[in-house]
Amino acid sequence: MAISEEVKKNWSNIPDVLTQGVQTLPQLLLYQADRYGDRVLHRKKDFGIWQCFTWNAVVEEVKTFAMGLASLGVKRGQTVGMIGENEPELFWSQYGILALGAKGTAMYPDLTAEQMEYMLVHSESVMVVCEDQEQVDKVLEVEEKLPKIEKIIYWDDKGMWKYNHPKLLTFNQVQDMGREYLKAHPNLFEEEVAAGQGDDIAVLSYTSGTTGLPKGCIMTHHGIYDSVLRIIGATDMKPFTQYLSYISPAWATEQMFGITMGLLLPLVVNFPEEPSTVTENIREIGTEALVLTPRQWESLASLVESKMMDAGPIRRGLFKWGMAVGEKVNLALLEGRSIPFLARCLYPLADKAVLHPLRDNLGLQDAYYAVSGGAGMAPDVFRFFHIMGVKLRNVFGTTEMGLFTLHQGDTYDLETVGKWMTVHPHLGPELEFKVSEKGELLIKGGNGFAGYFKNEEATQEVYRDGWYYTGDAVNITDKNEIVYLDRVKDMRELSTGHRFPPQFIETRLRFSPFIKDAMTLGDKDKPFVAAFINIDIGTLGPWAEQRKIGYTTFTDLSQNRKVREEIVKEIVKVNYFLPEGSRVKRFINLPKELDPDEDELTRSRKLRRGYLEEKYSDFVSSIYSGKTDFNAEVPVKYQDGRTGTLNAVVYINDLVEGGGQDQ
Amino acid sequence: MKKNSQIMRTEGISLRFGGVLALSDVSVNVGQSEILAIIGPNGAGKSCLLNCMNAFYHPQKGQIYFEDTEITGLRPHRIAGLGVSRTFQGIQLFPGLSVIENLLTGRHVYMKTNPITDFLYRPWTHRQEMRERRRVEEIIDFLEIKDIRHQIVGSLSYGLRKRIDLGRALAMDPKMLLMDEPLAGMNLEEKEDIARFVIDIREAMDIPIVIVEHDMQVVMDIADRIYVLNWGNIIAEGTPDDIKQNREVIQAYLGEEG
Repeated sequence: MAISEEVKKNWSNIPDVLTQGVQTLPQLLLYQADRYGDRVLHRKKDFGIWQCFTWNAVVEEVKTFAMGLASLGVKRGQTVGMIGENEPELFWSQYGILALGAKGTAMYPDLTAEQMEYMLVHSESVMVVCEDQEQVDKVLEVEEKLPKIEKIIYWDDKGMWKYNHPKLLTFNQVQDMGREYLKAHPNLFEEEVAAGQGDDIAVLSYTSGTTGLPKGCIMTHHGIYDSVLRIIGATDMKPFTQYLSYISPAWATEQMFGITMGLLLPLVVNFPEEPSTVTENIREIGTEALVLTPRQWESLASLVESKMMDAGPIRRGLFKWGMAVGEKVNLALLEGRSIPFLARCLYPLADKAVLHPLRDNLGLQDAYYAVSGGAGMAPDVFRFFHIMGVKLRNVFGTTEMGLFTLHQGDTYDLETVGKWMTVHPHLGPELEFKVSEKGELLIKGGNGFAGYFKNEEATQEVYRDGWYYTGDAVNITDKNEIVYLDRVKDMRELSTGHRFPPQFIETRLRFSPFIKDAMTLGDKDKPFVAAFINIDIGTLGPWAEQRKIGYTTFTDLSQNRKVREEIVKEIVKVNYFLPEGSRVKRFINLPKELDPDEDELTRSRKLRRGYLEEKYSDFVSSIYSGKTDFNAEVPVKYQDGRTGTLNAVVYINDLVEGGGQDQ
Repeated sequence: MKKNSQIMRTEGISLRFGGVLALSDVSVNVGQSEILAIIGPNGAGKSCLLNCMNAFYHPQKGQIYFEDTEITGLRPHRIAGLGVSRTFQGIQLFPGLSVIENLLTGRHVYMKTNPITDFLYRPWTHRQEMRERRRVEEIIDFLEIKDIRHQIVGSLSYGLRKRIDLGRALAMDPKMLLMDEPLAGMNLEEKEDIARFVIDIREAMDIPIVIVEHDMQVVMDIADRIYVLNWGNIIAEGTPDDIKQNREVIQAYLGEEG
């Protein structure tokens, strides 16, 4: 595929460093520092004031730290661990380590001492750079098992006043040693930086590994460049964008954004004062670009929701109205529909009264590039921010192969993880992908996967003939975009050999205002997917009244023909994102509500699957025996503890063959 | 640790409220950089002793010396000016002001300008404001309250308000810190926080801390030395280990043959 003009244009905004011999991150740092010198690269709030570090200042910090490490004996090819919250020193440490040709082990600050021990031993780290007492304590706790660690360096000395351990050094002490060392070796830093190669290992990023031990994923300089250029090609980010660095560099995404794009685009990288002050800081710096995890976006959204719950009725009403107008306008823009005339007229007012203050309070007023990294965030959360006027995008990738897809442009499909990005021709062939029989996504191209550190076996397992096995179960839409379903290991298999993602289906169904709970049926004894639906009488009741549909009880409403048709529509929407054979074919609206008091749900409203399949066994058998209705008897427990039986005719509903992609 | 030299001592002080003898002939000394705890059952006179130390109460008998100067009978603000700072059992903050403003009140002793010059906002007022704010920010950093620096104190939880109270005391850059029941009414986590700050204050600022407290567990963990008061008398003095073994102390707390 030819590279589009737009991608070329976006690439032309940045210097073509690859043709100028710039291969590693430290080389890039020096190259860009020559151009930008006194402009600001890093900002950090300290003692209540934003402190700025210019390019020259950062180079000086990195240089002295790197030379300090050199004087302590760190050599090309060795490893140095890094652990702490995002602060300038963490970034400088990494640049300094890489400048010597050593590699860094990026570790999450919330690791336990044991996890840290595993990574430091496995990566053969000779030193570790820690933020503060908390991290130093963890290292000291397992210090006996870390014979290779020669020095423990820390930059925040709070609480460290009485520590007296022979291996401890402060960041500043190392820098002082570096200054001394520079007097004897004035050109060493530049020489070491120049000796770096693009396929040197930059960082080991340990995957969390839900099964077995974590694997140290190798990220080379070129591998990181590759992803960053893919991103830059896919967006029109402006140089000196105010970026908030919040996600940990232990996560590959921040290696690409804060650490590398920060140098390449460049960004002004802002560090929050503390994790707890981040919402305040986002606002102070007028953040223009930020990447958060799905979890963090969700918590921002629920923060707004819960604050609005506390607000008085007038404010709540105003909020609802503003969001309704925002929905009509901003979602139409997103989906490429035309905007209703009335909403268009009301929008300026809604924006002024509700949406603008909302964005402003969250600090997202200037955020033109807001990203959620990873997969699987509910489209509703994306919609929430879009309604507010924040164009939240998803970026999807793996630590091993870099970032693949991004929501690009102004209109995109929130159900998918975005459009494929373009690989820079200097860094490898175009990305290719295919879906295996199991439904697993396979990726090929770009700079490729450099392997797991000291683990050839695991590398072989996921990387064969240039194809990387992501372990993600996906479906491809007709526009060639990916819908993320689940991890392959969480998929369930039917007797036909088809696999389906129970979580995906159930969570999407629960998004429907008419569905309170849903449970999918299907295993190796069953030929197709079926579902139990617990309708939401809170929304369907008024819905029925508005349409003059009479009903008496929950049971009656659930089996109403019109209601069942409505649920069919909801299931069709979900089926659209599933491959043929994994779609829901039949469903039953349960004649009573699922109730934790009857052990059907846990107290946190999780389904008790085994119990439900047993209790509703005649429902299950009716579905798979092809009946269209049957007389159900369901034991019920009343609130006073008496038990009884609910008798009702229950209908089994079929979805149109083919799942209704055309509907 | 310079344990021998004393920063404060009381010599045979007695305090009487009408017929009640709250303190009788109490002599204590506070070392240069120690965490000294005063414990005792309810009504033993612990707070009275603390209140004598910073001159809220004036003992009828005996003398108090601070850095070898007699301070018996001085007014409380003079004592504060000498460098004795304290936190209170009930919180004494301005609930309507922000955290920063409350901490700035602790800097008041160091401010040289008057309302008129402040109103005109001359350069020296500006410089003073920068200087004092900087010190306050250092304390905010030290006490890890960055996320609430702009919040109104009245809206904060009890545990946090206690921490602000401590911050205000520290903002005075004291030579000695008195803490009256800093852990009362706190949950376990808040207690652990404060206990850690007490240790940090000693380590980072090297100032002696006198602490009146009921929570034996914490006191035994953090104190270097303990005085035990009962009915206005010192009944024991020593390291936490000594006190744990002391028969008289056990009796005072648990009763005869306890």
